[in-house]
Amino acid sequence: MVRSGYLSVDSSTSHRRTPSRTVTLGHIQPQAPTYRTVYCNDRDSNMPVRFKGNSISTTKYNVFTFLPKGLFEQFRRIANIYFLGISCLSMTPISPVSPITNVAPLSMVLLVSLIKEAFEDWKRFQNDMSINNSTVEILQEQQWVPIPWRKLQVGDIVKIKQDAFFPADILFLSSTNPDGICYVETANLDGETNLKIRKALERTWDYLAPEKASEFKGEIQCEQPNNSLYTFTGNLIVQKQTLPLSPDQLLLRGCSLRNTEYIVGAVVFTGHETKVMMNAMNAPSKRSTLEKKLDKLIITIFCVLVTMCLIGAIGCSIVTDREDYYLGLLQKPDWEYRNRFMIGFFTFFTLVTLFSSIIPISLYVSIEMIKFIQSTQFINRDLNMYHAETNTPASARTSNLNEELGQVEYIFSDKTGTLTRNLMEFFKCSIGGISYGCGVTEIERGIAQRNGLKVQEEERSTGAIREKGFNFDDPRLMRGAWRNEPNPDLCKELFRCLAICHTVLPEGDESPEKIIYQAASPDEAALVTAAKNFGFFFYRRTPTMVYVRESHVEKMGKIQDVAYEILNVLEFNSTRKRQSVVCRFPDGRLVLYCKGADNVIFERLADGMDDVRKVTREHLENYGSSGLRTLCLAYKDLNPATYDSWNEKFIQAKSALRDREKKLDEVAEIIEKDLILIGSTAIEDKLQEGVPNCIETLSRAGIKIWVLTGDKMETAINIAYACNLINNDMKQFIISSETDAIRNAEERGDQVEIARVIKEEVKSQLKKSLEEAQHSLHTVAGPKLALVIDGKCLTYALDPSLRVTLLSLSLNCTSVVCCRVSPLQKAQVASLVRKGAKKITLSIGDGANDVSMIQAAHVGIGISGMEGMQAVMASDFAIAQFRFLTDLLLVHGRWSYLRICKVVMYFFYKNLTFTLTQFWFTFRTGFSGQRFYDDWFQSLYNVVFTALPVIVLGLFEKDVSASLSKRYPELYREGIRNSFFKWRVVAVWASSAVYQSLVCYLFVTSSSFGAVNSSGKIFGLWDVSTMVFTCLVIAVNMRILLMSNSITRWHYITVGGSIAAWLVFAFIYCGITTPRDRNENVYFVIFVLMSTFYFYFTLLLVPIVSLLGDFIFQGVERWFFPYDYQIVQEIHRHESDASKADHLEIENELTPQEARSYAISQLPRELSKHTGFAFDSPGYESFFASQLGVYAPQKAWDVARRASMRSRPKQLPKKK
Amino acid sequence: MSSNTASSSAATAGSGDSSAARKNSKRPKYSKFTQQELPACKPILTPGWVISTFLIVSVIFIPLGVISLFASQDVVEIVDRYDNDCIPAPARTNKVAYIQGGGDKACNRTLRVTKRMKQPIYVYYQLENFYQNHRRYVKSRSDSQLRSPKYENQISACKPEDDVGGQPIVPCGLVAWSLFNDTYTLSRNNTRLAVNKKGIAWKSDKEHKFGNRVFPKNFQKGNLTGGASLDPDIPLSEQEDLIVWMRTAALPTFRKLYGKIETDLEMGDTIHVTLQNNYNTYSFSGKKKLVLSTTSWLGGKNDFLGIAYLTVGGICFFLALAFTIMYLVKPRRLGDPSYLSWNRNPGGR
Repeated sequence: MVRSGYLSVDSSTSHRRTPSRTVTLGHIQPQAPTYRTVYCNDRDSNMPVRFKGNSISTTKYNVFTFLPKGLFEQFRRIANIYFLGISCLSMTPISPVSPITNVAPLSMVLLVSLIKEAFEDWKRFQNDMSINNSTVEILQEQQWVPIPWRKLQVGDIVKIKQDAFFPADILFLSSTNPDGICYVETANLDGETNLKIRKALERTWDYLAPEKASEFKGEIQCEQPNNSLYTFTGNLIVQKQTLPLSPDQLLLRGCSLRNTEYIVGAVVFTGHETKVMMNAMNAPSKRSTLEKKLDKLIITIFCVLVTMCLIGAIGCSIVTDREDYYLGLLQKPDWEYRNRFMIGFFTFFTLVTLFSSIIPISLYVSIEMIKFIQSTQFINRDLNMYHAETNTPASARTSNLNEELGQVEYIFSDKTGTLTRNLMEFFKCSIGGISYGCGVTEIERGIAQRNGLKVQEEERSTGAIREKGFNFDDPRLMRGAWRNEPNPDLCKELFRCLAICHTVLPEGDESPEKIIYQAASPDEAALVTAAKNFGFFFYRRTPTMVYVRESHVEKMGKIQDVAYEILNVLEFNSTRKRQSVVCRFPDGRLVLYCKGADNVIFERLADGMDDVRKVTREHLENYGSSGLRTLCLAYKDLNPATYDSWNEKFIQAKSALRDREKKLDEVAEIIEKDLILIGSTAIEDKLQEGVPNCIETLSRAGIKIWVLTGDKMETAINIAYACNLINNDMKQFIISSETDAIRNAEERGDQVEIARVIKEEVKSQLKKSLEEAQHSLHTVAGPKLALVIDGKCLTYALDPSLRVTLLSLSLNCTSVVCCRVSPLQKAQVASLVRKGAKKITLSIGDGANDVSMIQAAHVGIGISGMEGMQAVMASDFAIAQFRFLTDLLLVHGRWSYLRICKVVMYFFYKNLTFTLTQFWFTFRTGFSGQRFYDDWFQSLYNVVFTALPVIVLGLFEKDVSASLSKRYPELYREGIRNSFFKWRVVAVWASSAVYQSLVCYLFVTSSSFGAVNSSGKIFGLWDVSTMVFTCLVIAVNMRILLMSNSITRWHYITVGGSIAAWLVFAFIYCGITTPRDRNENVYFVIFVLMSTFYFYFTLLLVPIVSLLGDFIFQGVERWFFPYDYQIVQEIHRHESDASKADHLEIENELTPQEARSYAISQLPRELSKHTGFAFDSPGYESFFASQLGVYAPQKAWDVARRASMRSRPKQLPKKK
Repeated sequence: MSSNTASSSAATAGSGDSSAARKNSKRPKYSKFTQQELPACKPILTPGWVISTFLIVSVIFIPLGVISLFASQDVVEIVDRYDNDCIPAPARTNKVAYIQGGGDKACNRTLRVTKRMKQPIYVYYQLENFYQNHRRYVKSRSDSQLRSPKYENQISACKPEDDVGGQPIVPCGLVAWSLFNDTYTLSRNNTRLAVNKKGIAWKSDKEHKFGNRVFPKNFQKGNLTGGASLDPDIPLSEQEDLIVWMRTAALPTFRKLYGKIETDLEMGDTIHVTLQNNYNTYSFSGKKKLVLSTTSWLGGKNDFLGIAYLTVGGICFFLALAFTIMYLVKPRRLGDPSYLSWNRNPGGR
C-alpha cells in the first residue's frame, strides 16, 4: 500500500508541475486526458484549467437561436418540408393559387409548435434560474459566505447544512457526526428513499470549523467527469500523503444531506460536469407502429397526388391548343406554353401546388395534441389505475405510444415485484440437513386446490411471531429451543450469519419492537428480522462494528450484547451472486460468513460435505417448488496469518485506480472457498393483488404472456401455475439445462465440450418440441401449449441457427416461461419476438434488471410506487400494479387505438374529398390547373373549418364503455388484428371520399347551369365553387357525427361551430374589399348565393346525398358483417354506464388488512437484489417526481432540475 | 424525508396519519372529463333507425322533388344553335377565315314558341367548349382597376392584354378582351321585340365591383381584336354586357344573360332573330346557341334538382322497403352473442 502511495505521489507531482510550468509560458495546457487535478481552497491555481462553472442551463434555445433552431427542429418533419416546398412553388408564376393558400396553414402549424416549444423552454429557463440562484455557503477568508450556486467553482470548500441539496459533486471532507460519516438521501437519483452512508477519509475529519477548514490545502486527482453514478476513483493528496478516494467520499449533486448537522466538502465537479447532469440524456424515443404505418399511408397519398398531377399534366399537354385564342397564346410567346412537353412539365407542378392539400398538414399536430391530452388527462388521471396503498397514480411518461397499447400481442413480464409483491417474508429454513418451518405457502395451497386436495389450515402455535418480513413458526427453533436440536452449533452459525452478514442499516430505537431495518433488498431485511426473532438482535452498526444482542447462546435465557468487528465486506454483485463478511469475534475468532445463490455456494464448499449438500439441495428444490426464494449460507473459520496476507491483497485491490471492481472480485475469490455449509433460508414472495385474474383477462384478450425471471425453474413454474399461466391441461415443453447429459458434461468440466453438449441438447429438444407442437396444432382440439426454458439453454437457443426454431415454437405456445435469465437475455427475447415475429410487444417490470427488456419492447411499462425507479425511468408508462394492465391495455390502449385510427382515417378522407373536387374540376378547365376555391377557403379548410371536430373525436370516441371493455376482453383482438387500420379500411374511406367529392362537385355544377333565380341571373365560377365548398364543409363535418359511437355535446359544439365558423368567415370575407391587388373573386358571393332559393335546395340535397352513401354502407356493414364491438353495444344498448364513480369510492375504502399493507408499503424500501438476479443498471434516472406531485419527468433536464430543486418548506425557517 | 414520515406512519399506523396522507394524496380528482364519462348519446344504427332514417329522407325529398320539378316544368325554354347555320354554305370549309374576315355577318333565324311564355323572357347566349375557367383566362383581369380609376395601372395580372404602347388598357386582361360580340335583334310578326339590356348583371357586381368613374381606355386597340369594343364614354358600371361577361363561368359550357323581353309570347308565335355572327368560336370548335327562357321562383329550366330529389327520395324509400323486407325475412337478433367472433370459432386464434 505504501509503495503504491509513493508511486502515485510521483505521478501526481509530475502532473502538477506540467500545468504550472506551461502557464508561466502563457500557454494553457489542456488537462491530461484521463485525470483532472483540483486544488482545494485555491481558486487561483484552478484558474488556468478553466473548469466549467456551476450554473446549469437546460434550455434548448436562447433568444437568438430560438427562431433558427426551433424552425430547424420543425423542418425535420418531412411533412413540413413538403409544405415548405409547396409554399415556395406557390410563389412562382406557375402556381394557380396564391402563396397564402399554403403558407397560411404551414405557418399556423409552425406557430403552434413554436409557441409550445417556447413555452416549454421558458419554463425550463425559469427553473434553471431558480436553481442557479439558490445559495450555498463557501469558505472565504475563514468565514462561511453565502453565494449563489452558479458562482461556485471547482475546488471551493463548501458547507452544506442538514436537508440541503448538494450544489455540485463534492468531495466529502468532514462532518459534524462522529466517525466522519454523513447520511444522504439519493431519492432524486435513483428513487431509493433509504439513507445512504458516506464516509469521509479519516485524515480530513478535522477540517470542520471555518478557521480550520481554511488551512486545508489538498490536491485532488480524480477521473474526468463521467456519467457513472456509482463509481469514482481518485486520490487526495494532502501533505504529500496520497489517500485513495472511493464513491464513499463523493456527494453527488441532486442528493440531499440528512441526519447530519452540516458537512464540509470540496467541490470536484460542477454544473454540467456533475454526474447527475452527465447522466441527463434523452431516452431514445419510440414511435408507435401505427405511426409507422401512417407514414406508409402518407407515401401512398403522395403517390396518388403524383398520379393525379401526371394525369392532369398529360391532359393539359393534349388539350391545350393555340387555337384557343382567348387564352392569349398568340399575342406574346410564352415560356410556359412553348411546346407540349413544356406545357405538361409546368402543369405538373402547377397541379402539385393545387392538390397539395391532399396531404393533411395538420394531421401530425392534431394527433400530437390528442395523444398529449389522452396521456395527461385520461391515463394519468384514471381513478381505476390509482393505487391507494402506495398513493401512486398511473403515469404516461410518453404520449407517443398510446395507441400502441391497443395492439399489444405479447407481454413480457418480470416476476418479482411485478407478478409477486416483493413483500419478502422469512418462511422456512434448512439447517444442517433439517428443514424447519411449518407454514404452507399460497402457491402450495393453489397447487393443492388444483389437485383437488383439501388444505388443512395448520393451527399456529399461540404466540407465533408475525411481523413484516417474518412469517415463520417452528417450535423447534423459537425461543431458544434450537439448543436442543441436533446441530445447535450450526443453528448458532446460521443466526449469526443472518445477523452479521448483510448491509442493513438499523434505524430508530435500539429495541426489537421499534427498530427499523434499512436494507438494500427486502430479502435482506427479512433475514435480519428473522435473526432478531431467533434471538440474535442486530441493533447497531458503525463503520467497523456490528452489535448483536444475542439470547440463549451460552445458556437459556441469557442475553448478552456482542460486538463483532467487521474487517471486510465482500459485496454483493451480479457476477458474484454472493456476499461475504469477514468478522472478528470478541474472543478474536476470525470468521467469514457468506450467503448467496445455491450454485455459487455449492461450488465453493469444502470437501466431504456431500450428505448435507445432498439433503440441502433437496430442501432447496422443495422450497423452490413451493415458490420460495432461497439463499444458501456458509461460513469458514480463518487463520489469522492467512487472513493478514489476504487482507493486504484486498487493500491493494481496494485502492486500485483501474478495474477496482474486477480486482476486488478476484481477491474475494481467493478467500471464499472451502466453505462449510450451514444451510439455507427460504423466503416467501407473495403474489400481487389480482394477478391471476388480470392474466386470465389478458389472455382472453388474445395477449400472450411470457414470464421472464431470474428465479429458479421450479419457482418460476410455480408462479406461472399460481398465475394461471400454466395449468395441467396444457402440454408443457420444458427445455432445461439440468439434464443428465449436460450434468455429465459439466462434471467433465471442459468449457468447449459443455457448450457443444448443451447446444446439441437444446437443438434436439427444440426440434422435438416444435414437431410435437405442430402436430398438436393440426389436431382439432389439441391442448394449449406452454414452453419453459432456462437461461442457459436460452443462450444457445438464441443463437442465430436456432433462433427461428425457438421463435416458431414459442409463437405456438400460449405461455412461455423463461427462468434464470439475465437482463440481457430478457431484452434478447423481447427483441426476438419484436423483430422476428413482427408482433407488438410489451415489457413490464419493476427493477433495474428489467430496464433492458423494457427498452427493447415496443412498449415498456414500469411498476411504480414500490421499488427503485430505474424501471420506471426507462419505461413509457408507469403503473402501480400489474393488474392495472387490464385498464391500461383494454380500456386506454384500445380506445386510443380506435381513436387514432379514426382520426387518421378521417383526416385522410376529408383531405381527399376536398382535393378530389378540385381534381374533378380540373377535367373541365382544360387541365389548366385553375383553382376551384378561393385561396383563403382552401387554406382555412384544414386548420379552421374542419380542425376541431376531429380532435373531439380523438378525445371522446368510445365504442363501448370502460367496464364493457374489461368485461369483453376479446374486443381487444380487433386491435391485435389491426382491424381499424387496414388497407381495406383505407379503401372504404377512399371510396367514400370519391363518392362524396363526386356528389358535391357534380350535383352543384350540373344543377347550377341555368338561371338560378327568378330574375334569370347566372352563377359564375366563384358562386359555384362557394356553393360546393359550403356543401363540402357541411358534409365533412357531419360525417364526424355519423362515424362517432359516442356523441357528447362537444361533438355538437365543434361540428356546429365549424360550420358556423365557415359561414361567419364567408360573411366577413365576402363583405370586405382591400385596396391591395387582391383577387376579389368571391366578393359578395355568399350574399348572392343566399339570395337564391337554389342555394337552400342544394344545401339540403347535396350533404344528405353525400352522407347517404356512408350511411348505407354503415347500415349494411352493421347488419351483415358486424364488428364485435357493435354486437356488444347492442347487447348492452339499454344500460347506462353511470354510477361508476360510486364503485370507485367504495373500492378505495381500505379494509383493515389493506390498511396494514398500506402502512407496510409506506415503509422505506430499496432496490431489490433478489437472490442474485438483480443487476445494477447503468441507465438511471430518478423518480422524485412523484414526491412533488409532478409525474413523468419526460426529459432529462427535468431530472436534473428536480434533483436540485426538491426542498422541504418546513425546514426553511430553521435555516434562517 | 420520506423515511421519516414512513417510519412515523408505520409507528402510528392509522388514525392521525391517514388525514395527512390524504392531504398528500396524489389521487387524481374525479371529473367526468378525465374519467371519460362525459354524458354522450350513443347512436346504434339498428334496423329501426336505418329504416326510419330512409323513410324520413324519402318523405322530405319526394315532395321537394315534386315541387322543384313542377317549378322547372313551368319554365319554357327555346334553344337555337346557330354557329354552323349562320355561316354561309360556301364559307363552311373555312369557318375561321370567314369569321375573321370583314363584311356583314348578319344571319336570320326563326324560332317557334311552343308554349306561352310570360314576361319577363330572358335572352341568353350559350357558348360551349369555351374555357372561361381556364387558369390563364381567369387570372387575366384586374379587379381593382375595374373598381376605381385610382388603380388604373394595376395591370400586372392582365398579361398579355395589359397595355398598348405603355398605356394601360381599361378594362385590361383576356377576359374583357374576349368580350362576346354577337348581337341579336328579335321581332315578332315584323314587330320588333324590345330587348332590355339593363338589369342583367348581379346588383352587387354593378354596385361594388365595377366603378362608375371607370371608363374604358385603349380597349381593343392592340394588334388583335378579341371581341366587342366598349363605348369609352359609358362607365364600366353601366356596361352590363361586360359585367355579365366578366363573371367568369364555372364550366366550359355556359350561358350568359343577354337581355330581357318584357312582353309575353304566345304559343305559336314565330320569332325572327336577326343576329350579327361576330364572335369567333370556330377557332376552337365552340358552339353558340341562342336561348329564350322564362324563369320560375327557383330559376330557369332545371330538372336536375327535381330529378335528384325524386331519385334520392325514391331510392331511400326503396331501401327502407328492402331493409324492412330483409328484416322480416332474415332478421338478425340485436346483440346476439353468437355473432361475436370468439363465439363463432371458439378457441380460434
